[in-house]
Amino acid sequence: MSVTNRRARADWSGAWRTLVSFAAVGALWEVVARTVVRNRLVLVPLSEVLSALGSEIASGQFWRHTWVTFGELATGFPLSVLLGVSIGLLLAQSRPLQQILDPLLTALYSVPIVALAPLFISWLGFGLDSKVAIILLTAVFPIIINTEVGLRSTDRGLIEASRSFNASRWQIFQHVTFPFALPFIIGGIRVAFARALVGVIVAEFFGAYAGYGYAILAASQNFRTAHLLGYVLVLGFIGMLGSVGMRSLERRLAPWREMHE
Amino acid sequence: MSAGPVLELKGVHRSFRSPDGDDVNVLSDIHLTVAEGEFVSIVGASGCGKSTLLRIIDGLIPPTAGSVLVRGREVTGPGSDRAMVFQQDNLLPWRSVIDNVAYGLVLAGVHKREARRRAQQFIDMTGLKGFESYYPHQISGGMRQRVNVARALALNPDILLLDEPFAALDAQTREIMQRELLRIWSTERKTVLFVTHQIDEAVFLSDRVIVLSARPGRVRAEIPIKLPRPRDLPMKRTATFMKLVDDVWRLIEEEVMQAMGFAST
Repeated sequence: MSVTNRRARADWSGAWRTLVSFAAVGALWEVVARTVVRNRLVLVPLSEVLSALGSEIASGQFWRHTWVTFGELATGFPLSVLLGVSIGLLLAQSRPLQQILDPLLTALYSVPIVALAPLFISWLGFGLDSKVAIILLTAVFPIIINTEVGLRSTDRGLIEASRSFNASRWQIFQHVTFPFALPFIIGGIRVAFARALVGVIVAEFFGAYAGYGYAILAASQNFRTAHLLGYVLVLGFIGMLGSVGMRSLERRLAPWREMHE
Repeated sequence: MSAGPVLELKGVHRSFRSPDGDDVNVLSDIHLTVAEGEFVSIVGASGCGKSTLLRIIDGLIPPTAGSVLVRGREVTGPGSDRAMVFQQDNLLPWRSVIDNVAYGLVLAGVHKREARRRAQQFIDMTGLKGFESYYPHQISGGMRQRVNVARALALNPDILLLDEPFAALDAQTREIMQRELLRIWSTERKTVLFVTHQIDEAVFLSDRVIVLSARPGRVRAEIPIKLPRPRDLPMKRTATFMKLVDDVWRLIEEEVMQAMGFAST
């Protein structure tokens, strides 16, 4: 009870501080754009960015782009999670498989996959398929690697104790290694979400009929800096929501980790 | 009570492959017989294989040669007739106190609610009442060891194996835990095998102290402890007690010196 209260209070004061810092940055932006950097191609005051965004919402353009980008994310991201966790589980089960695939995975993880976006567009077209492929390739690696590391780093003592109580391999997975790996997996998913967001926008830059990336590129080519920044603001907001959501999920699923942080 | 020993070790031998590829003998030709309800401690210099011996009896590792018999049946793996209390408490951090105590029962296929009901009895017995819903990181080291002991007791094993369970605790907590263990043992009447490096702890708790030699571990001596029961802490300051501790220490001293690199005189 008291713990919950304290946490709620901490959440509120955290939210309050976030609000204050956003307001401060917003005010600074407005002042700089009106007094120092007055070239509207370079910087537009926040108030004008917001009104541009408002007009996009009113005209329905905003919703069209939102529908497309979210559709791509809603297809590609769950697929990345499913595939990433499955491959991570497989790798953690088999030492030889891990030895073969680990160097490859590490290499692919560090390659900027988005650089391949133009290739995927020409292979798979301007539609959904190319975006899903790019989301998958940008998002899947941190999930694979975190899943595998989480399962492998499980405290040996916990496994030995379970073995001593006659636990089967499946029971050890179910009661020990999987719960142990869960916070690692969620951490991987959090990183993956940020990467997927970048992936989908870049993919839309290179070839799309709609979506936030398309809208940003179009605004930039027409010198509509206010529209461009408006969509970037929206992206920042989505990224933040994703991160906050994932953290609260982590706290709910792994409350014992609080204490180690 | 019943006929025949509850636990028998016949010529148990264990070697490990070292990183250099040599075979290192850890335990050599261990013979031991433990009677029903007996409290036996195993002491010896560090590295003499006492923890390995306990793991062999628990079935976590097989002996290289020889055999372990529980009520005449050869041990081939972990079983419900034995339960281990580990030095590191090894509690699952995502399970509350009561669910940690119930863990072994759940693994054995007991339904969660029934497992909790049975666990409650051992929570009360080990003085954990009121802490059922706490998580391991929220309680002290002494409390965690109580959970560790309760978890093993909940399985209702014939033989309780304890591997230096109080080594990580501070001196006061350790003494309280020793007394608690004796109280529980006197009501539950389990056969206990207790590994420790603390000689006074071994003498205080046991009916018999087994002294292992340094690597490879062999049974160097068996010392019966004929102190009256029930025992309490003031007994530790009696002359008979101190004499017994001294006797055991003399047996180990030479080994410890050798293990530390001093030549024996």
